[in-house]
Amino acid sequence: MAQNGDKRMSAREAVAECVQDGDTLIIGNYTLCMACGLVYEIVRQKKRNLTFCSQSGHVIDEVLVAGGCVDRLVTAYVLNAGGAEGGSAVARAWKAGNLELEDYTNFNYNARLVAGMHGFSFQPVFEGIIHTDLFEKRGFMGDDKYKVIKCPFTGKDTVLVPALNPDVCVIHVQRADKFGNAQYWGAMGSVQAAALASKRIIVSCEEIVEHDVIQASPHFTIIPAHRVNAVIEMPWGAHPSDVVGYYNADRIAFAVFMMALQSEKATQDWLAEWIYGCKDHEAYLKHHIDRYGFNTLNALKARAFYSAPANYGAAFTSVWDDKDRERTLGITLTELEDFMKEKGVLYE
Amino acid sequence: MSKPYTLNELLIIAIAKEIHDYENVVLGVGIPMISGALAKALFAPHATLMMESGIIDIQPTVPPNHIADCLSCRGFSFSTDLFSAFTMTYRGFVDVCFLGVAQVDKYGNVNTTVIGDYDHPITRLPGSGGAADFISYARRTILTMRGGEFVEKLTYRTSPGYLDGGDSREKTGHFPKGSGPTKLVSTQGIFEFDPVTREMYLSRVHPGVSVEAVRKKVPWNLNVSPDLKETERPTDEEIDFIRRFAPTESIGKNLAIELIVKRMMNQAG
Repeated sequence: MAQNGDKRMSAREAVAECVQDGDTLIIGNYTLCMACGLVYEIVRQKKRNLTFCSQSGHVIDEVLVAGGCVDRLVTAYVLNAGGAEGGSAVARAWKAGNLELEDYTNFNYNARLVAGMHGFSFQPVFEGIIHTDLFEKRGFMGDDKYKVIKCPFTGKDTVLVPALNPDVCVIHVQRADKFGNAQYWGAMGSVQAAALASKRIIVSCEEIVEHDVIQASPHFTIIPAHRVNAVIEMPWGAHPSDVVGYYNADRIAFAVFMMALQSEKATQDWLAEWIYGCKDHEAYLKHHIDRYGFNTLNALKARAFYSAPANYGAAFTSVWDDKDRERTLGITLTELEDFMKEKGVLYE
Repeated sequence: MSKPYTLNELLIIAIAKEIHDYENVVLGVGIPMISGALAKALFAPHATLMMESGIIDIQPTVPPNHIADCLSCRGFSFSTDLFSAFTMTYRGFVDVCFLGVAQVDKYGNVNTTVIGDYDHPITRLPGSGGAADFISYARRTILTMRGGEFVEKLTYRTSPGYLDGGDSREKTGHFPKGSGPTKLVSTQGIFEFDPVTREMYLSRVHPGVSVEAVRKKVPWNLNVSPDLKETERPTDEEIDFIRRFAPTESIGKNLAIELIVKRMMNQAG
């Protein structure tokens, strides 16, 4: 990081610096606004032996698993592209015994992050889960997947999940400043909890904005700058997924990917073309435009539906009024100093 | 007689009728989202539609692509997080939720995780998502079944229905009174659960479907309501709404893919 707090860097630098082999990696986003550009860079750099946490699996789970990056997957939902016919790199790896899975519900997955983000070691979840195979069948978490205690106040059965504090979170947001203050809006999912529970955070964003924009709209900030390790300006960084206020999902690109998922060979060909064959996100976008034309992307651009401005203004920005009198005391600074002298509260 | 309809349209309409005005409704991915939009447009204008990703009070303008698709509506009233959407359910503020079914047993327990043994899987299914927690705590749960199968025994219980039947769910003390699956809506008919045995029985058949055809797909000796009725035939207004709002859902995924592939071939050629 530069001395002035500027955390801007390239995706290549950020991933090289913040993601290590063997890390527990979490994708902050939840089906919407997925950090595809950052995830593709992780695949490109051939990171290995990751434990990957993904609330709702999608193109990113498939890409990371097909890229050989993941040993273990913690999830609540795996997009099974081919339905009952198969057609998912995740399903293939799991069935072949090359991928360990831990299944949670959306709420239980999120609860682990909520404990993690607040510094607690566990979080109570709803007791109905006891009557499911999510509770019965334990993967690599073993006994620690869930535990049951008696609530010390009510005596009721209380199910606990352990805190999850991933090593690194990758996240895509609408906008950030160069210091890393990250602003996100839309479906909040478990985005903030995933980021704040993590030890390191890489933020990619559609655009870097002036710090003043952040200061005037703090309600959109979900990660404060002091927690962020790297910020990358990456327009279309969530492509082919969607970003509220920027673009819709690219359904044609999705369909192409889904078809590729039908076989391991086609999946690897897809990786070769769209990830290994493109040196960075810019090259990926250029390839997409060469292949499908600029209009395909252009047609997905969001029209404006602006949030109503919230007024963060106040009556004044100084305690001294326009006649230089203190607003409550009614006197000038000179008069105040004379008063202090008179009262004997000043020391030479 | 109203115009001809597809089975998907029939299912969407039957599910939509389970949404009542002024209710708080959690919509799952796929068909329930279309049903929610239909209900809100035609007969439950004050229903509050929400998605577990934290989007509360939406009126979709296009069919939502996924559970966090807030590009499918023009704004919404309350933006919260997933954790709070579920604690809201736990506290009893959700009237009705909808869950898709891959496997279901006679007591309405549901599998959406794996076909075959978990450690030696035949087919991986998506997993729980929000299902297990919603069916536990929503006031009513409607199971929806487009593909899916009725089985004697689930290979994995993802979401708890009436467990082993009778009062077994209630006896655990882990679920609110009156919760659990209320109905199952399939492309053949509507099933309800006996208030004592909690066993699923056929309460309505869709137009033109015979009881024998329904029974063929159910491995246990299915009970049929003594006053079995036929589901109301969809009206033109309902069918037209779906075709304008979600034509891809009218025809279903496979036919939609066929058209998309054709379009891509034409563009490439």
